[in-house]
Amino acid sequence: MGNTNLWPQIEPLLARVERPARYLNHEWGITLKEDTDFRFCMVYPDTYELGQANQAVRILVNCVNNTEHLAAERAFLPAVDMIACMREAGVPLFSLETMAPLSEFDAIGITLPHELAATNVLETLDLAGIPLLSEERGEDDPFVLAGGPCAYNPEPYAPFFDVITIGEGEEVTPQTLSAIREMRREGLSRREILRNLADIPGTYVPSLYRWRSEEEAQAAGSWAEPMEEGLPEVITKRVFAGFAESNAHEPSVVPYTEVVHDRLNVEILRGCARGCRFCQAGMMYRPVRERSADNVVNAVVCGLRETGYDEVSLTSLSSTDHSQIAEILQRLNNEFDGKGVRISVPSQRLDSFGVEMADLVAGQKKGGLTFAPEAGTQRLRDVINKSVTEEDLFGAIDAAFSAGWRRCKLYFMIGLPTETDDDIKGIASLAQRAYDRAKANVPPEQRGSVRMSISVAVFVPKAQTPFQWDGQISPEETLRRIGLLRRSVKYKAVDVHWHDPSTSFVEAVMSRGGREVADWVLLAWKKGARFDAWTELFNRQAWEEAAAELGLDPEAIAQATYEPGYVMPWAHISAGVSPRFLALERKRAQQEVTTADCTYEKCTGCGACQAVGADNELATPRVAAGSNAKPASDEGEEAARG
Amino acid sequence: MADPSLFRLRVVFQKSGRLCQLSHLEIARTLERVVRRADLPYAITQGFSPHMKISFGSALPVGVGGTREFYDLFLTRYVRPAEALSALSAASPEDLQPLTCFYVEASAPAASVAFPFSTYEAVLSGEGASLNFPAEVTVVRKKKEKVLAVADYLAAGPIASDNTVRFTLEAKPTGSLRPDALLVESLKSAPGLVLTSLTRIDQRDAAGRSVCPD
Repeated sequence: MGNTNLWPQIEPLLARVERPARYLNHEWGITLKEDTDFRFCMVYPDTYELGQANQAVRILVNCVNNTEHLAAERAFLPAVDMIACMREAGVPLFSLETMAPLSEFDAIGITLPHELAATNVLETLDLAGIPLLSEERGEDDPFVLAGGPCAYNPEPYAPFFDVITIGEGEEVTPQTLSAIREMRREGLSRREILRNLADIPGTYVPSLYRWRSEEEAQAAGSWAEPMEEGLPEVITKRVFAGFAESNAHEPSVVPYTEVVHDRLNVEILRGCARGCRFCQAGMMYRPVRERSADNVVNAVVCGLRETGYDEVSLTSLSSTDHSQIAEILQRLNNEFDGKGVRISVPSQRLDSFGVEMADLVAGQKKGGLTFAPEAGTQRLRDVINKSVTEEDLFGAIDAAFSAGWRRCKLYFMIGLPTETDDDIKGIASLAQRAYDRAKANVPPEQRGSVRMSISVAVFVPKAQTPFQWDGQISPEETLRRIGLLRRSVKYKAVDVHWHDPSTSFVEAVMSRGGREVADWVLLAWKKGARFDAWTELFNRQAWEEAAAELGLDPEAIAQATYEPGYVMPWAHISAGVSPRFLALERKRAQQEVTTADCTYEKCTGCGACQAVGADNELATPRVAAGSNAKPASDEGEEAARG
Repeated sequence: MADPSLFRLRVVFQKSGRLCQLSHLEIARTLERVVRRADLPYAITQGFSPHMKISFGSALPVGVGGTREFYDLFLTRYVRPAEALSALSAASPEDLQPLTCFYVEASAPAASVAFPFSTYEAVLSGEGASLNFPAEVTVVRKKKEKVLAVADYLAAGPIASDNTVRFTLEAKPTGSLRPDALLVESLKSAPGLVLTSLTRIDQRDAAGRSVCPD
């Protein structure tokens, strides 16, 4: 493999593009590992400022660099102005650490962070000069790997990747790369290597599976038919069982230019067992594993010293659920008193405890607080298993506004299964009552500054969740419900924000589609679709034309609702949570019955622990309080089983 | 900023190599992180959103380097300059290395306006003598076109020598002429000539004193 440094070709382009700092290397904290014979490039399929702080990129680059014989670098998709300059000058996509063309690497890994990144995967491969389809790649082309949240329904990406890793990559990524290195040294062909990789647990090699017709799939219980003896019928996710014990501190790259989440990020816990029925993350990161307070505090102290950041975020799906969160925050407050360090806790728990924790680290500056009731009525919150009551919300509002906050943003989803117009009106009613409650906690002379905003997203059915069988509402219906919501809000101080339903529609197709959707992605990209997650760049026409040309019915894919017996296109992929549990949860949703969080209550029988051979691992036992204090309604459980 | 209880350390650094591509804001963010990594006893502002007491010299455009850039850092206790310099050096990327540091009076003029005269050196692909400055440069500010008379800003030069051209621009309270905009306009009437690099090589006050005497 060559070792081309493209910097001399890149530098002259920088005078013509915005924010050249995206394309410089030499950032503080990078790892340059040179004495290795196998080079891996981790790619985030969007621009530097969106991808640099990505957790998967950081974790996997560090894991690979910690493995003998392997070296890892990073690459990002340039912004459209730079892509145009590069194409004009014939400069291919490059890595940052050594500015080498991606095509010279032994393997590249592309993370799939959300459903709107698919066309950017193709833009990445094309700009790198790597054949777009796995079947077109030759012996000297890099192995193209994928992973990340969207791997839980890999089919819309299947033909583009040689290998798709399901689950957490800490162990399986270095294992896969080492295996490729070994087999290349032994002189095995690309095809032989791929066949052998399929034996590594958590590894899906799409080219080894035939895509069945709908009729065949429903009869066989899976759409993907292994084409060789010994291939797994079901690929179960990998879990990094050593997470809780592993050091929360790891090298971090400090960017020069401003990026999203531009701060030290310390992952304090992984997994969330609250069991919201729409939430894919809640299903795919089970079991729940907490890092200890000592581990977390040490990581923050070391990390801030090494990076020079003035802000740290304690990341997870629900950081205020960590059993030692109060201790962690108090210790960090003492440690950094008077040093101008900000501590942020994302994923605010919706009760007064959550606000107390926010208050511990807010200092004097209290911007806005964000809460996610998700649904406007208790009935619908029970359907989705969002175990938050109005009293929890109002308790949080009382605590927040009496502590000095003046703005609050409430997140809701519309189009959730069983939603009626009453639920939509319920959003307006809840927000207005929350506003009244907020005002009552504020001195009269400051009441004018109280603001409440409603932010609504359209429900996107996600693979591996109890709502995977439920269709999305149409973009027209979405607009009708948003109109109803806007008319229902009578207060001037309560404003409503929403997303473009046409992008949510593409998300739903990508989320639920089978292998036929990959053709749609390819054709839409050929017609100019890319950067679909950028509102101003979303090319609706390209997607519509591509569907018409292929005779694909994306509405059916996004909007059809099935009975739980229906075999979905990701039946060969398992997040550990059993299909039986998902079906049971869906039934309980229809009966408006909630299910408790197993980190407080008894095991719910989801099957994840057994499937992956791991257990919930808490730093100390969790004590139920606030929004976690509600046990499952037992009679409902009986009814659901009956 | 003029808090007499604080020690005002002036740090002179270079902006070089590929980090010439950083904007003023990116440089500022990076240098604050350098100071934290160096673990110097920096002062913190009081108020709603506490931050480091640090002030930067006048901005350089993206793509323009500097050999005598500086910032003033306010410290809560005295640190020997040699010690501060070595800590900062260890915490700085190669292309933003500190060159020297020394204490200045708390009452000295603010960093951003202390040295209004900037001397630049442009390196060209050909003879510097073939470059002529235009009488006017049209710039776009806040979406409005504005015509600047070069003579209003040009304090010295241009002086050509081989492939280089040196000139000094004065920053006025009402605004300044960007050196890169002046070069781009000048190059329009010099076909075949290309700008290789542009560097601020000195900053002086009204009395002619340099930010960093040799």
